[in-house]
Amino acid sequence: MKSNFKRYMRIQYISLVLPGLIIFTFGLIIPMFLAFRYSLTSWNGMTAEKPFVGLENYKNLLTDRHVRDAWIFTFKFTFYNTIIQNVFALIFAVALDSSIRGKRIYRTIIFLPCLISTIIVGFIWLKMFSNVLPAFNKLLGTNINFLLFGSGETVLNGLLIANNWQWIGYWMLIYLAGLQSIPEELYEAAKIDGATGWRRFINVTIPMLGPAFTICIVGITTGSLKVYDLMVSSTGGGPGRTSTSIIYHIYNTAITGRQYGYGSAMSISLVIVLLVIAVIQLRYLRRREVQL
Amino acid sequence: MKIKRSLVLLLVLTMVLSLFAACGSKDTSSNDSTNDSTNTDTSAENNTSTEEDNTEEVSSDDEKVTLSVLAGQSTTDAGIEDMIDEALAKKYPNITLEWECVDWGKDFQPKMQQYIQSGLPDIMVGKAQDIATYGSQGLLADLTGKDYLSNVLDEAIPGVTIDGKVYGIVYNALYQGVYYNRQIFEENNLEVPDTLEELQAIIDKLNSLNITPFATHFVDTWSIGNITMQFAINEVFSKTPDWGDKFRAGEVSFIDSPEYGRAYEYNKLVYDNTWKDETFSLEQTDCDARLVLGEAAMKVSGSWSIQNFLDIDENFDFGIFPFPNSTGDAKLIFEPNMTWMASATSEHLDAVDKVFEVLTGDKDLALEIFNYTKTSSMIKDVSPTYPNPSQKDIDKYVAEGRIIDANIGNNQLQWGGFQDENAKDIAAWLQGDITLEDALKAADSRRENSKP
Repeated sequence: MKSNFKRYMRIQYISLVLPGLIIFTFGLIIPMFLAFRYSLTSWNGMTAEKPFVGLENYKNLLTDRHVRDAWIFTFKFTFYNTIIQNVFALIFAVALDSSIRGKRIYRTIIFLPCLISTIIVGFIWLKMFSNVLPAFNKLLGTNINFLLFGSGETVLNGLLIANNWQWIGYWMLIYLAGLQSIPEELYEAAKIDGATGWRRFINVTIPMLGPAFTICIVGITTGSLKVYDLMVSSTGGGPGRTSTSIIYHIYNTAITGRQYGYGSAMSISLVIVLLVIAVIQLRYLRRREVQL
Repeated sequence: MKIKRSLVLLLVLTMVLSLFAACGSKDTSSNDSTNDSTNTDTSAENNTSTEEDNTEEVSSDDEKVTLSVLAGQSTTDAGIEDMIDEALAKKYPNITLEWECVDWGKDFQPKMQQYIQSGLPDIMVGKAQDIATYGSQGLLADLTGKDYLSNVLDEAIPGVTIDGKVYGIVYNALYQGVYYNRQIFEENNLEVPDTLEELQAIIDKLNSLNITPFATHFVDTWSIGNITMQFAINEVFSKTPDWGDKFRAGEVSFIDSPEYGRAYEYNKLVYDNTWKDETFSLEQTDCDARLVLGEAAMKVSGSWSIQNFLDIDENFDFGIFPFPNSTGDAKLIFEPNMTWMASATSEHLDAVDKVFEVLTGDKDLALEIFNYTKTSSMIKDVSPTYPNPSQKDIDKYVAEGRIIDANIGNNQLQWGGFQDENAKDIAAWLQGDITLEDALKAADSRRENSKP
């Protein structure tokens, strides 16, 4: 009877794990190993020959100015995005968790942009910055520079606006769910202890939102490091290369530029960076999470 | 515990096997397509036999054949699929085309790269310059001697021929140069310039009249790449037709070439006389609209803009002239555009031939396509009838023999990974991020990627 149950459980485990394992293996692990293999070649992506060049591509990565610039842009984009999105998502979540009138409508309005494809968001903001907002200048007789995508100095600001407009609502929902799962008794106890609203926020809300912080910070960071589609339809990585993210550069190098081997080396370096950042963040943030 | 261990073992085994599979170094799928085609001579024989085998298969009218088509389109081409489907259905109802339409500039090459690994579509539509890239690898079917080639203008054949074998059908052509608002020119007594000094005089006059001399949309990096190649064709390639080969051989370089330096500097001339603040934010449609509305007087562009011009104002009067070069003998640039190619490994080459026969033989279809795309015909006895105010200028340059094929440059310097990357450097230079020397040296540094 016992062994039958064990067998049943074993079959259940396998049937639950196997589909995911197969998809993960064929969709991620194998391509990653293939990419590593290609990164040791100077293959152009078209010919049958894949000349082996050893670690030459990795050496070149270290001295390539365009790779360095793409990483700098990506890190800046990630840094500002992580701060802005977390702060505003939390502010909106706290505001819309209160008894404010029409909060469901506000939640919907703030959440709506994340339902739009990022490619469309890029188009929307390209039009906003080049047509719609400058029209307000004419209407109001003002001279505000809305052409944020038009200069290397302002293109990052423009992309941050577009990206945050799209995603703040999404992360707001995560914080909102976190806020709603905090037991009311904790606030009541804090009140009895004489804690002010601000104190309750700092000493109860923030610690209890630990898991939500972990999800949001890791999600926004890794998402921003992988930004690509927003640039495709808005700046094309320009002006020049001033808004070229690392993924955009990898695509241009490997596919359009026919340097598949070199592009694969960039991809492997990206995976390593993503892994390192995610592990550091997870370790640090998990340690700070409060368990009830 | 045992299950966990088994799963871990399975995962590790798969990883190791995948590594070994990858280290096998020869990609069988790519070999299939590439090896077949690398040995062009043998593949030609194989193709003939495959063709023969397939002839019976599709010759029956009842036999349904679906051909996959990868269409790398220009902005003007979207929509011609329905016209072709309709014409094909009339003559060969058993043949169906399954279209995959992509932007030629952005997505055609990536798609081809993908399909080279997994198997090419039966038909591909690209540009004449693609023949040099894919025909030379033996990926394309040899069309030499096909009856339908006699429907194509003789001038269109050399550009798609490699080692005596024809690998494509050039269907239409574009003209490239400086489109100008004829009304502005006439009202201000401006004459079409032949020299740079004359062009400068026009620019000065327009500036004094508060008319922007050039309409530009540098947000599209391809437009910088395109106009740079226009400048280079008349400044560099018309004087040294094998400049690209010499460049790869190390005999010439961008930094040491005063001609290429000038071609780059013309970008600055245009940039200094356009809406500088807006050009990196402005899309092509908005830019073309401004030219039509008289906010700018000239635009370095190609026939792909005509569709926009006439959509905005069907009575817009415009002309075209070549951007002057330093020797005053610039020619109007002619670019063989939509080019039809067949896969060397297609199982339905007979059906592909029938599609090409309809395309080149159905004159009503050809006329409909040319009128829709506002392009010039490369099919014999078919002349588009759409109103093209610039046609009289084109006729004048043709009569004077002042026409040059864009492939003289495009067939020597690869677009993806070379020309487009150079265009990004030019944009960075125009924005003041790097110097002209940096931009020219950067082009030299990617010498290895320059071969189409």
